[in-house]
Amino acid sequence: MKKVVCLLIIVMIAMTSLTAGGQQQAEPARVVTVFGAFVDEEARRFEEAIRPFEEATGIQIRYEGSPEFETLISVRVEGGNPPDIAALPQPGLMKNFAAGGHLVPMWSSLEQAVDSNYAPVWKELGSYNGTPYGVFHRVNAKSFVWYPKKAWEAEGYEIPTTWDELESLMDQMVANGHTPWAVGMESGGATGWVGTDWIEDIMLRTAGPDLYDQWITNEIPFNHPSVKKAFEILGEIWLDPKYVYGGVNTILTTSFGDAPRPMFQDPPRAWMHRQGNFITGFFPDHIQDNLVEEVGVFPLPGIDPEYGIPILGGGDQFVAFTDSPDVREFMDFLATWESGELWARAGGALFPYLNQDLDAYPNEIERSLAEALVNAEVFRFDASDLMPGPVGAGSFWTGMVDWVGGKSLDAVLNDIQRSWP
Amino acid sequence: MTTEKKKAAKWKLVINLILLLIVIIWTLPTIGLFISSLRPRDQVMNTGWWTAAARGTELTFDNYRQVLAGRGYTFVDSQGNTVRASGDNLTRAFLNSLTVTIPSVIIPILIAAAAAFGFAWLIFPGRKIFFTIVVALLVVPLQIALIPILRDYQSIGLTGTYLAIWLAHTGFGLPLATYLLYNYISTIPRDIFESAFLDGARQMTVFTLLVLPLSVPAIASLAIFQFLWVWNDLLVALVFLGGTEDVAVLTQRLATMVGSRGQDWHLLTAGAFVTMMIPMAVFFGLQRYFVRGLMAGSVKG
Repeated sequence: MKKVVCLLIIVMIAMTSLTAGGQQQAEPARVVTVFGAFVDEEARRFEEAIRPFEEATGIQIRYEGSPEFETLISVRVEGGNPPDIAALPQPGLMKNFAAGGHLVPMWSSLEQAVDSNYAPVWKELGSYNGTPYGVFHRVNAKSFVWYPKKAWEAEGYEIPTTWDELESLMDQMVANGHTPWAVGMESGGATGWVGTDWIEDIMLRTAGPDLYDQWITNEIPFNHPSVKKAFEILGEIWLDPKYVYGGVNTILTTSFGDAPRPMFQDPPRAWMHRQGNFITGFFPDHIQDNLVEEVGVFPLPGIDPEYGIPILGGGDQFVAFTDSPDVREFMDFLATWESGELWARAGGALFPYLNQDLDAYPNEIERSLAEALVNAEVFRFDASDLMPGPVGAGSFWTGMVDWVGGKSLDAVLNDIQRSWP
Repeated sequence: MTTEKKKAAKWKLVINLILLLIVIIWTLPTIGLFISSLRPRDQVMNTGWWTAAARGTELTFDNYRQVLAGRGYTFVDSQGNTVRASGDNLTRAFLNSLTVTIPSVIIPILIAAAAAFGFAWLIFPGRKIFFTIVVALLVVPLQIALIPILRDYQSIGLTGTYLAIWLAHTGFGLPLATYLLYNYISTIPRDIFESAFLDGARQMTVFTLLVLPLSVPAIASLAIFQFLWVWNDLLVALVFLGGTEDVAVLTQRLATMVGSRGQDWHLLTAGAFVTMMIPMAVFFGLQRYFVRGLMAGSVKG
């Protein structure tokens, strides 16, 4: 036993001196730490995309990604150990940190870059009380409808450009014995967000961006007629068993990742799926390998022509916790298209920059998504991410589940309104 | 006589059948996980594992290869060429996990054994109160300690070092360890100590030569508990050690392996079996110490 103790003490001393010494040696003077929620292949592509910056400036970017990001960033900030820069997926987090005085407000060079490279909506999303903090880099867009291209061509279905065309296409499909939509909203503790995305998309299309913004801040109550109307429009599709593969039970029990799969069976068991650009990662392997030949995509058509085709989306905003010349230089870089170009070329990422080169995207699908995103007259951030947590990540989600499960619409909307903090 | 024997045999059969049923129910998820880990991605996502045998589908080690050797990924380099590279393998994460776990098991057990000996056999004022405090700490969830400890670590520059996480796990593990070892050590017969003291032994000698060897069964079971807890821990490691490549432990690598949106969850099946290997080895290695009767006859002579 004594030997074990001795050995242990030696090991401990060796380890601590090793790690301490290692840190002093390995860390060059110019390191910027970045912490974010994206991991694995996405993290690799981010690292590769910023490599030219590292080579040009000599600043080393150390990226750390974790699926537990949202818990960890709060613990680390409160514990006094924040990263230099964090990529926050939710604007609410940015507002908390800004309110707590943890963030460095944008400096003039960064603000100028943001003003010239982004649509104004992105700067607003990165601001708290009128002070801009966050720089958006990779974003995602959700208002897209995916379909099995070859089967559509064989049946002669055409892409609808208005909501009326979409409805008549749905009826045409039903007349052909096809089921138009594949929907699944199961997502563990987050079950319901697929539904809230649909509602948000329809809200933008019927009520417009102004009412949408008031809805987020509860200036209009959750049981407002415009919200109710959005639910009713969705109900015409979701609650009608002939329009959705498997009916309401399948909606509730199918995970969002498995939901598009019926489209790729032969013959397809469902013919359309509305989801964000990330969904391609969940398609079966043989579909992913031939994405452009197998899959088509179009933006969910507008309903009220006044608002065009609004795009709903989200994205990570980079905020600085420390103020140093290196951090400033990197943040300035992130506000330019050059920081995203290599990632865009590798695929799987959309960028909001106004001056981006659409040819950089590796295939038609991503190019058309980026085009829809940049050209959208109305872009709005995912409302459930902007609403207070108890609603946006709580009663709105569960309300969707209750409503699909058969609870009356008025009761659901009143419940959500009552849960507003 | 014979009817009684028959009756007994019947009962035995019934009990064995019930046990068999329970065993099957208990192992079914593991079997399912194992079969799933050998199936290709599309099949895992489309059909249940029980259909594998029925349809004679192909089995593949691809999931294990991706978990162990790292996942391939493509990126575009600064010259605009598309490059395909393979990700890091798990060796680094394994080493990190072992570096974190082994001291985090040994340190708390040594401290707890000494503390338990003290609480059980040394007479000092406030012994009961101190022991109650230690036991009371059992119900304090470690999550509430994360931020205060992180602040303290930050002020003395410990964050991100292995020492930080060893100390954290030691602290979080001590109440249970002390309590368990106290229960065991307090049952050691008083005669053993008396004869040792009669022979002129000091407290330290009694502790190292008598208490520690006699407590091996308890220490072994405690070591298994603590090992599994630290090995499976994700939160404490992420908070105190961080998740950068050079220090990331196995659980962190597995958590990132499923992708940002969980699209590659099928890899977890293989990952589960890979991470299971070391805890299994520890369990079977320590199992032989669970022998009773170590103390039998120790007072004779």
